[in-house]
Amino acid sequence: MRFRRTSNTPKADPNVLLPPEGVPLNLQVAGMGSRFGAQITDILITGIGMIALLILLAVMNLTSPQTLGAVAAMLFFVIRIPYYVVTELAWNGQTIGKRMMKIKVVSRDGLSLSAHALVVRNLMKEAEVFLPATLVLTLDATALWSSLIALGWIVGTIMVPLMNKRRQRLGDMIAGTYVIDLPTPILLKDLAETTPKPVKDKFTFLAHQLDHYGALELQTLEDLLRATERRTNSQVHAQHHATLDSVIGKIRRKISFADPIPPSDRVAFLRAFYNAQRAHLEQKQLFGDRRQDKFHADQTSDD
Amino acid sequence: MEQQTDLIRSARFRKEREGDWKRLDALVTQAESQGLRRMSFGEARDLAALYREATTSLAIAREISLDKGLLLYLEALTARAYLSVYAPQESARGVIGRFMRKSGPVAMRNSWFFVLLGFLSMGLGGLAGYLLYFDNPDWFFVLMPGELAGGRDPRASTEFLRAAIYDDDPDASGLAAFATFLFSHNTRIAIFVFGLGVFLCAPAILLTFYNGLILGVFFGLHVDRGLGWDMFGWLSIHGVTELSAICIACGGGIQLGAAVLFPGQYTRSESLRIAARDAAKLAIVAALMLVAAAFLEGFGRQLIQDVDMRLLIGWSIGALWLAWFALVGRTQS
Repeated sequence: MRFRRTSNTPKADPNVLLPPEGVPLNLQVAGMGSRFGAQITDILITGIGMIALLILLAVMNLTSPQTLGAVAAMLFFVIRIPYYVVTELAWNGQTIGKRMMKIKVVSRDGLSLSAHALVVRNLMKEAEVFLPATLVLTLDATALWSSLIALGWIVGTIMVPLMNKRRQRLGDMIAGTYVIDLPTPILLKDLAETTPKPVKDKFTFLAHQLDHYGALELQTLEDLLRATERRTNSQVHAQHHATLDSVIGKIRRKISFADPIPPSDRVAFLRAFYNAQRAHLEQKQLFGDRRQDKFHADQTSDD
Repeated sequence: MEQQTDLIRSARFRKEREGDWKRLDALVTQAESQGLRRMSFGEARDLAALYREATTSLAIAREISLDKGLLLYLEALTARAYLSVYAPQESARGVIGRFMRKSGPVAMRNSWFFVLLGFLSMGLGGLAGYLLYFDNPDWFFVLMPGELAGGRDPRASTEFLRAAIYDDDPDASGLAAFATFLFSHNTRIAIFVFGLGVFLCAPAILLTFYNGLILGVFFGLHVDRGLGWDMFGWLSIHGVTELSAICIACGGGIQLGAAVLFPGQYTRSESLRIAARDAAKLAIVAALMLVAAAFLEGFGRQLIQDVDMRLLIGWSIGALWLAWFALVGRTQS
């Protein structure tokens, strides 16, 4: 008999978004730091913009000081919620601050952001960002009780995003949105496309030699090889060669590769091994044999 | 010196599609910098088609490829393309038009019950305040915050009260009064009343009730001095709009609080999200009404000194709001 409801399905990964096409996308949830930075940037931009406009009006002497105060008050009203709603609507979930911090609002259901969601999440900004921000400035040790309540409010608003996995504020929860880091696509060269010249077919590997490793080791080797391609600095060169030597040593022991590798062929050997291993693992994967890492043999016997 | 190898399957897969991915990359960059609206028909069509192709490539690559560089690239490219393709297609003007023509009044009609509760909180507060004042005028000092009354309390002479009603500081410019209004007591009340509703309704109802109490004792004071009708006119010209705005904001707040208190078959956050569809629109309606009230207060109240005129304007604008809520956006059926 169970007293507490426990979910049988594993918790959904917060970093996965499911678009209507049905192919899940990995989008990292933005951290509190970048969101805080974006908020500060937005406040600075709107504040400075407003002050600049007011100074311009004052210098051009168009209006009386009294009206200037009224214009200032109205501008102050406009830059609060409408600024955020209009920029996020026009730039697809990004204010100027968010553009600079490369973060973006997305809808949790994977559809496009609706005007309603943007209005809601920014309406709540009044209670969640502006009110605590002004409360911080007015904290006063002499008025103990009101300060304690204010402090409680401030802590509460900071705690809400920290308590859930998608770092949603209350406004985000109500609107069904959250904030992600924008990914940058960089297309790297395919390592398997070419091999260094002198060694085509110099190293050959047998099927049983390729049965030791899994995807994790292959991709670690890929990282190492990509780092080798980028490296030109001579100072770290010696250290790097030592790393390559130890990697080659380990691989040779593991797969019982008898022939010695001359120092000039170090990279060539690793590239050849990478190609052969990748072809082998991909072939296995095509037929349903997914090998996560070098412990794959133990796991299959356990199941 | 590099030389070609016999390509393995995943490398061939990549080679065949690389051109399309690069074109998609360029289109996405273009869409992000200048927006979908400025793209030509062909470019927009290619963006959508190539995006769908890229999602397929990603799904296949996850199955057949172990090239980490390629997988990361495809993930990022597809995500960027997804964000460009599923960008909001509405313009700000379209959103405002739709709100005025349809969604605003429809939301008001959907949540009439909560709006009614908001009006009840204020009305009962007003009644209680009024009765309390006649019970004992000292209640005035208990309930009314000093800075709000501006010297208009039971100690003031009847002439002073009359002067305050009919001569509203004539040298203040209309715009300045408008601005002071935006930051006046009542706007802050409206914002708080809505925002605090999430916390289980109580703060929103209490604050509206208290606001009603203030209004009640204030009105009681003037009735006591025989200025009831004049006071009614003074309040009507903008108060019909302004006080209704507070009640509507309170209604929105109560709706949010009720969603948290009684989520029914949904989880609390889900029920909050459903309730917010209408509640947020109530908040916007309230904001619109407050701006309108600011115009009435800033310009109308000083220019129009006649009681009947004030009543006529105040209540006919109230009737216009009511007509908007009741009639606009009904579908012909």
